[in-house]
Amino acid sequence: MKQYQTYIAILAFSILTSLSGCKKGVLETLPNDRISSEIYWKTESDARSAVNAIYPSLDAVNLFNLEGVTEIGHTNTTFTAEYNIENGTYDASHSRIQTEWTAGYRGIYLANYLLDNIDKIVTTNTALISQFKGEARTLRAYFYSKLVGLYGDVPLITTNISAADGKAITRTSAKTLWDFIDKELSEASALLPNTYAAADKGRITKGAALALKARANLWAGRYTDAAAAAKQVIDLGVYSLLPEYGKLFSLASENSAEVVLDKQFLTGTVTQNAFSFMGPYSQKSSGSNYVPTKTLVDLFPMKNGKSITDPTSGFDPKNPYLNRDPRLRFTSYLDGDPLPSGILFKPVPGSGGGDEIGKTQYNTTTGFSLKKYCSAEDFAAPGASGLNFILLRYAEVLLTYAEAKIELNQIDATVFDAINKVRTRNDVGLPALASTLTQTELRAAVRLERTIELAFEGWHLFDIRRWKTAETLMPGKVFGLTYYTSAGAPVVVEVPSVDKAFSASKHYLWPVPQKEKTLNPALGQNPGW
Amino acid sequence: MFEKTYQKLLIAIASVLLFASQSMAQTLVKGTLRSSVDQSPIEGASVLVKGSKTGTQTNAVGQFSISAKPTDQLVISSVGFESRTFSVSDISGALDLQLTPSKSELEDVVVVGYGAQKKITMTSSVSQIKGAELTRRPVSNMQQALQGQAAGLTVLDRGGEPGRTSATMRIRGTTTFSGNSSGNSSPLIIVDGVEQTFFNLNPEDVETISVLKDASSTAIYGSRAANGVILVTTKRGSAGKTTVTYNGYFALQNSTNDPVQMELETYMRYQVLAYNNSGLTVPARFQESSIQAWVSATDRNKYPLPNIWFQNVLRSAPQYSHNISISGGGENSRTRVSLRSSGQDGIAPGYDASIREMRINNDLKISNKLKLSTDLNYRFNYSNSPYRGDAFNFFLHGSLWTVPKYDDGTYGLSPQNNNPLMFLEKSGYNKISTHYLYGTAKLDYEVVKNLTLTGQISGVVNYQEQKAYQNAYSNRDVTTGGSLTVANNLLTEGRSRFTELTTNFLANYQKTIKKHEFRGLLGFSEIYNNGNSISAYRERFYNNDIQSLGQGTNDATKNNGGSDYEFGLRSFFARFNYAYDSKYLLEVNGRYDGSSRFAAENQYSFFPSFSAAWRLSRESFFQKLNLPFNELKLRGSWGQTGNQTVPLYSYYSSLSAGSYTFGGAAVTSFSATSLADRTITWETNTQTDLGIDGTLFNNHWNFSIDYYKKRTEGILLALPLPAVIGFTSSNQNAGIIDNKGWEFTLGYKNNNHKVQYSFLGNFAITTNNVVDLKGSGPFISGSDLDPRYIVAEGVPFNAHWGYKTNGYFQTASEITSYPTIATNTKPGDVKYVDLNNDGKINADDMTVIGNPFPKFTFGLNSEVSYRNFSLNIFFQGAAKVDTRISGALAEMGIFEGFTHQIFAGNYWTPTNTNAKFPLPRKSDQRNVNTSDRQIIDGSYLRLKNIQLTYTLSPEISKKLGIKGANVYTSATNLVTFSKLNEWSLDPEAESGRVTYFPQTRLVTIGANINF
Repeated sequence: MKQYQTYIAILAFSILTSLSGCKKGVLETLPNDRISSEIYWKTESDARSAVNAIYPSLDAVNLFNLEGVTEIGHTNTTFTAEYNIENGTYDASHSRIQTEWTAGYRGIYLANYLLDNIDKIVTTNTALISQFKGEARTLRAYFYSKLVGLYGDVPLITTNISAADGKAITRTSAKTLWDFIDKELSEASALLPNTYAAADKGRITKGAALALKARANLWAGRYTDAAAAAKQVIDLGVYSLLPEYGKLFSLASENSAEVVLDKQFLTGTVTQNAFSFMGPYSQKSSGSNYVPTKTLVDLFPMKNGKSITDPTSGFDPKNPYLNRDPRLRFTSYLDGDPLPSGILFKPVPGSGGGDEIGKTQYNTTTGFSLKKYCSAEDFAAPGASGLNFILLRYAEVLLTYAEAKIELNQIDATVFDAINKVRTRNDVGLPALASTLTQTELRAAVRLERTIELAFEGWHLFDIRRWKTAETLMPGKVFGLTYYTSAGAPVVVEVPSVDKAFSASKHYLWPVPQKEKTLNPALGQNPGW
Repeated sequence: MFEKTYQKLLIAIASVLLFASQSMAQTLVKGTLRSSVDQSPIEGASVLVKGSKTGTQTNAVGQFSISAKPTDQLVISSVGFESRTFSVSDISGALDLQLTPSKSELEDVVVVGYGAQKKITMTSSVSQIKGAELTRRPVSNMQQALQGQAAGLTVLDRGGEPGRTSATMRIRGTTTFSGNSSGNSSPLIIVDGVEQTFFNLNPEDVETISVLKDASSTAIYGSRAANGVILVTTKRGSAGKTTVTYNGYFALQNSTNDPVQMELETYMRYQVLAYNNSGLTVPARFQESSIQAWVSATDRNKYPLPNIWFQNVLRSAPQYSHNISISGGGENSRTRVSLRSSGQDGIAPGYDASIREMRINNDLKISNKLKLSTDLNYRFNYSNSPYRGDAFNFFLHGSLWTVPKYDDGTYGLSPQNNNPLMFLEKSGYNKISTHYLYGTAKLDYEVVKNLTLTGQISGVVNYQEQKAYQNAYSNRDVTTGGSLTVANNLLTEGRSRFTELTTNFLANYQKTIKKHEFRGLLGFSEIYNNGNSISAYRERFYNNDIQSLGQGTNDATKNNGGSDYEFGLRSFFARFNYAYDSKYLLEVNGRYDGSSRFAAENQYSFFPSFSAAWRLSRESFFQKLNLPFNELKLRGSWGQTGNQTVPLYSYYSSLSAGSYTFGGAAVTSFSATSLADRTITWETNTQTDLGIDGTLFNNHWNFSIDYYKKRTEGILLALPLPAVIGFTSSNQNAGIIDNKGWEFTLGYKNNNHKVQYSFLGNFAITTNNVVDLKGSGPFISGSDLDPRYIVAEGVPFNAHWGYKTNGYFQTASEITSYPTIATNTKPGDVKYVDLNNDGKINADDMTVIGNPFPKFTFGLNSEVSYRNFSLNIFFQGAAKVDTRISGALAEMGIFEGFTHQIFAGNYWTPTNTNAKFPLPRKSDQRNVNTSDRQIIDGSYLRLKNIQLTYTLSPEISKKLGIKGANVYTSATNLVTFSKLNEWSLDPEAESGRVTYFPQTRLVTIGANINF
């Protein structure tokens, strides 16, 4: 019997050993690979990390989607989601309608999270805390202005709320939201420095807050406020145009004096995929998701400043890209242009190259392919670019100033000066505008300048909405380049199965996303939807 | 095999006794009757002198004595055993007589949770599969071996990639929502008492497999048992002379389905039509002169055929397995050692896999009261695939008009710069090696009579190394001039390990008081799992032969990562059985489970079950009815189980690191990426089961019928949240899903004729219904071009969702009078049904168009033996299941993919208005949207395996100096009857694009030799 007791002892001992093998009980497994929110908000660096977390919500490559649903861009394949928006066959359940809403409020949540908690931090460095608050409030205003621009009335949320509150919240009028954005940006600009040291380049500056304020007020049609805010940016003396438009979107020009707000990337670490997303098909067997249209290309004037429709412009239909505004070639690859791989861009049907229209369903359907952001520097690793995405640059500030002043009919030398600075940039070199132009002519001139200067930077949809020109610009077929048959007859490429559509009674605002409305019927819906 | 051994033994005993007893007068014959299986005495057996009325019964210890003449014969019979006739002259009172349990399925001893029960006294629904059934055909994984073997167990086998399984198992349907990706609807696998990986277990090591289906049998596993439990018992050493057994086979694999592209000229003219129908310019390739040139060309390097990948790339590939097992020992110690070496090449280049494995199972009898088992299992599993895992996608997509390979070894490139053969051969590799080590020690101690304590400690260590290397290479198509360059070679290495320690402590007690039989089990179990992983990345190596991490470029592109996790489960459980007169049976189970996956206040939950059975056939009134039943049992059970497989730390409010950068340097950021909910807890599954088991006609027939209903509540559901709060969804216990069904098993066995025949068939009906989503949903996934599924209240989980159609528009006036899905509709376009009559065809008109999970599944295993030959035929199949074809197969060649020959001459034209397919329209998907047109009946019947075995006669064996041997040949997946055949699709394939490793057909030769 004694020997059994020994065995039992061994058995019991083994079991006990295995039980106590892990000192804490097997049920108390706390993760060591993540940080609990309960131990957060103690130090300055906690605040810094939480501010940093808002920036990734800034827009980047996704902005091309919005260009693809305007008259200057085309959603290149029929199975890309924006194709339905372009054709007007979308409804509140469309994926893009949801993702823009979701992304905006995600950014707002992150800003609110910081603003709700940052005062828990005990520190003597109050200036830094103020700066963080300024960054968060500016970013929040950025998200709100985009949401109002797309959807009109949206819920105004300035603190983290519960799911229950989220299911009952109502929409705030666009007017109140514009008031909020204006006030926030004014207050935030007071908290922010003009510039940062090298390690903080890319953080929100005073100029960014003010430039966003100018943009928001322009969108809201509050021209006095827009002009004043733009003037404040100009008067800061921090910003100037980069002499070469052609180098704006390259690694070398990052953080140049023209950049007011950008989303920053770092090669190999924090990357964007503009090249693989938008580059010509021959380059990486991908890309060309949204392509420039004939409408955009034809907007670029001749180098002498005259429209190509002007018989005296010198436009040669057989050499359509000769002597044009140089920005055309910086914006789009044109027939015969050299490509990063060393070959030429040959989109004309029958030309036999990798970019030939119709060769694959991914090839450009217009014969144009975006060059802006498709930098040759990214050819080797097209999905992992470190090129910053510019979200607001000084040229826009100048044009905003000019447009606001023109709308106010306060046309003076500063207005011409602002527009001409953009036109006469070193490598653009268009003639200055004639000082005799009327308000109406100037309005057309500044709108054209804005359209081509900022083409494919993401904001054109907002412009044609506030100008109320979308209803006339949008509807119709999509056209591409013109080529000549062997007999010498011109053929204008027409993109098959596309009819851009825009209903003035409905499409100036996107609908409240279906899912949001289902979860919270109190949101209501925009007219026409 | 067992029976044969026994028969030999009896013959031996008989011959010995023959000498001992010659002419004797009427004498008292004494004997002790025991069961040949467990040597337990057989009580109440009848002993009759043949041809007389003299008879007696055995007493409680199996003894009998009877007067008989030496020339008499005694007929000994007992319920549950095969009757035997002995010559009195053969019998001596000193020797034991043995009876073999009769061939009734109900007499089997069935492994159940933490124990074993006689099937006859079971009250729950369990299917048992014998090891021998698993080794009839070569399998790449164990799931395949279980296919069609048990009613209620559905195995979907999705192809034959060597060494990596994509098969899924479901017991009684899908019980939870997240099951599609994470396997949360997969059953719990317990091997020898410990949760283990299943797919690469050695089938030769398996003694039995029990499939636990109802709550009564599974509740003892509590929180992990909601999807049923599969218990595996491995073979152990047997006492006696040491035996050495070799089992091995060699098989040749071939692809079962090779889609064939439409014939060249037909295809080219078809394309012209498609371009014209869309109003597009016909490209140069399809101009008449080009068509002529292509059709008349003989140089297929210059004029390649549109698509010949399946015919050119796939090949026959070998698969082999060698197993040696050695078993032996004496009364006090027994051992079984088994060794396995198996290998498999892929039917496509770049794929191969192998396994090396060893298992040692030891049983040591320390004393009459103390037994120790120690088992050790080591397995090395290696598999290799090309770096580009997506090559099969390019068999059908984006790879037209390409020369697979030129004579000089360079490759052709498609207009989209693809060549799947090049990807398979050139892209690099992805190697995975897994070391699996399992060890257990189990001590049984019989404290007092009928009370046994068992302690078991086990550990599993799984260590995996992964190395994926992308070659840098470039290729220029010498004909078209197209070129593809992968500029950088790159290497990703990963190491991951997990260790799981299991402790089980059991106390078993049994007591019989007259006709009352009690059994009880108390148990404690604890599982602790921890794991971690690291990964590292570098690129731009000197050349493709340099593959060591340290040789990659040391700059910002290098990267590494890692993870760490642990979880635990602590459980208390009990079982109580009561039987009255082996007639009325009752069982109660309960398990109290605590899981670290939940917040402290929600960790524990209790899972009870109750079951009862009534053996009708033991009732005297029933026996008087003189029905042909040998056994008839009614049973019923009710119980609850749980599902705890929520993502780790779901309840924990945590901040995740993100990445951003300022001024050219990365910065740290932290934010919450999900909304933590501390109330997250178990999903609870409640199941009711009613069943009948029986045997008929002298135990030749046996059957089993079950009806069950199970409801899973509190299913963790990513309930959508208003995006304005910053999160789009959060996991909450909210959903309810129902599964119910019927299961039938019928078996027949005849051993009394020269031709022996047996079969075992099973048939199951499963219906599934999503009951409640707490007002959320419907959740719709997919698109117009790929399968669209819906999770919505009132329809089966992940039902196919899309448009209904009603033929084609035939006239212009029809088009103006009915809504169309797109403008410029023409005669021949598909007429989608405006279900809600709002004059528009849009998402609101979609409805359920198919069921992705088979409603009926069945298997039939039959065997005929004549002399030395036996033939085993196994059919398996499913019905009432729908497959959504998609990708190039479904798109009619309107995009740049493969065009199936099925479309040839079979589409709408003004003169062929009743065609099977609509008007082809290039680059226009209006006619191929997700609709009932893309849903194909996925029902099938498959001759899964046919095997012919020849057993060597004893004389030949003797001459060869072996104990015995058989050789066999078999064919797997030989014939399939299915509507999907015409689409060249395997019926078990998941709906969606054909991007997976093809299903294979195998022809095998093998041998089993006993030394």
